[in-house]
Amino acid sequence: MKVLNDFSNIFKRYDLDLEVTGTAREVSKDAVMQKIAQFVVDGDDEGIGPAVKEILGSKSPLDIINDALIAGMNEVSRLWDEGVYFLPQVILSSDAMNVGIALCEESMGKSMERKGTVVTHTAEGDIHDIGQVIVNALLNANGFKVVNLGADVPVDKVVAACKENKPIMVTGTALMTTTMTAFPKIGHQLKAAGLNIPFICGGGAVCEEYVTGYDLGVWGKEASQATGMAEDALAGESWESMRSKWNG
Amino acid sequence: MNAKERVMAVLNHQNPDRMPCFGANSTVTYDQMEKAQAFWPEGHQKGETMAKQALAAYTMLGFDAVRVPFCQTFEAVALGCNYKPAKAIEGGEGIPGIEHPPIYKLDDTPIFPDDFLSRGMIPELLKAVKILKNELGDEVPIVAGIIGPFTIAGSLIDTVPLLKATFKAPEKIRPFLDVGEKAGTALAKALIDAGADIIACEDMTASPELIAPKTYRDYELEYQKRQFEQISVPKILHICGNVDPIVEWMGQTGADVLSLEPKASASLARRKCGPDIILMGGVDTATTLFMKDVETVKEGSEECIADGIQMLAPGCAVAPGTPTENLLAMVEVVKGH
Repeated sequence: MKVLNDFSNIFKRYDLDLEVTGTAREVSKDAVMQKIAQFVVDGDDEGIGPAVKEILGSKSPLDIINDALIAGMNEVSRLWDEGVYFLPQVILSSDAMNVGIALCEESMGKSMERKGTVVTHTAEGDIHDIGQVIVNALLNANGFKVVNLGADVPVDKVVAACKENKPIMVTGTALMTTTMTAFPKIGHQLKAAGLNIPFICGGGAVCEEYVTGYDLGVWGKEASQATGMAEDALAGESWESMRSKWNG
Repeated sequence: MNAKERVMAVLNHQNPDRMPCFGANSTVTYDQMEKAQAFWPEGHQKGETMAKQALAAYTMLGFDAVRVPFCQTFEAVALGCNYKPAKAIEGGEGIPGIEHPPIYKLDDTPIFPDDFLSRGMIPELLKAVKILKNELGDEVPIVAGIIGPFTIAGSLIDTVPLLKATFKAPEKIRPFLDVGEKAGTALAKALIDAGADIIACEDMTASPELIAPKTYRDYELEYQKRQFEQISVPKILHICGNVDPIVEWMGQTGADVLSLEPKASASLARRKCGPDIILMGGVDTATTLFMKDVETVKEGSEECIADGIQMLAPGCAVAPGTPTENLLAMVEVVKGH
């Protein structure tokens, strides 16, 4: 007869362990790079500055960006997807990464090369920009240039920013059903201006049926989809093909 | 049974003649405003208009309670935050909020003013409750809303700095939670004096979709307990989103009722919180009530009831553009339970 000496799994029901535990994986074999990545993973925006400055003499700024800062942020995205990390940690990590990137860019004397530009905004009348904060952090981490228009942005300002920055895509976040009515107007005006770029709309109140009801609209179910969608847009996929891929 | 007897029966763990249906959050829509000839923005700012709009939940929808107010600014504005009027958006007037930048930084010490109850638009809210009490007497219960400590703290220092502080310097958020608790408690007591039968506490920012569950357990729970201990009438606690990771602790706050969105599991809440907690909730206010039709609303409502919901309600604040027939469909559903 088998003797059971560990009772932990018997008393562990699936719903009794809701806080997922997990730890960050190592992102670089290089101890110096790993140390920088760890500041991002820990969301330490004060410690990361001196640490990056210290290694800028021995490592190239571009390598620090790619192998430590962005690699660390990717690890944060993974922990967030898996439910280990919560929103405050993603925000703190993104801040830390941006401090590091700014120092590296200063050292290079130019901005890091970005894959493409994405304009992000939260709808007019809506101050709930949390979803957009995540989208910005993830796009940044994946090498896109983010033109962050912030919260409560009028339709005209979104359209003007798209005309000026020529983004590969534009995103809109709305938590309230009263504010998402701005989205069809933005879609319409972008199209009228000849900017047939995918317009990713998401957030609390926003559902697929609404977003696919106007031209350019692609529904974003989760903030974490933003990078995959940006990659598609960068590859030249049209809003129609993105809609059929990501929605429906 | 009249509406108040029905709701009180459930709250007292007795059998109602049928399941009640009402909102823990705002249920006002443009349709109701049109019929009541009472509109926003006055409904956010003037007691008479607010009462007229709230009354529509009973007279036009047949809901078993009326609910004021319709925005989340009362405590914050009375604490000194700047009121941001709603903008007229396509389809009607919107919901007001709190202006950026916030009035405090994390290192500041927030102040709870002695004349809190006479500040901002609180006197108009109290007036609305008095008018409703005169109109409804003991026929229909009045649900009056307060805002949870964590959400008020978010208005005082802004949500993103608050979220960061929960990891970087969590002890620094305590003075803000303390003032937030005092504000909600003071308002609740005044609302009860004015005639409120039930207090509904909305605490949107305490959702696990924004903060870590352990932040709720280690910080917010204590202030919510302290608040609910001081409120003499039945209390509803509403936290938005999927609250599964914190529902056990929500059940320890002293709330009589938990108001759940359909993303959260009522059956899990029952297992975690035991037999005494009353569960209310219902279909998704955006994807179902606002966007879909009567049939979908009915199906969704039945699913919520099957999952253990005892009082049917919109899952969160009703979008003002919601079609009346979808809200009426909820009342149809409870008639069969």
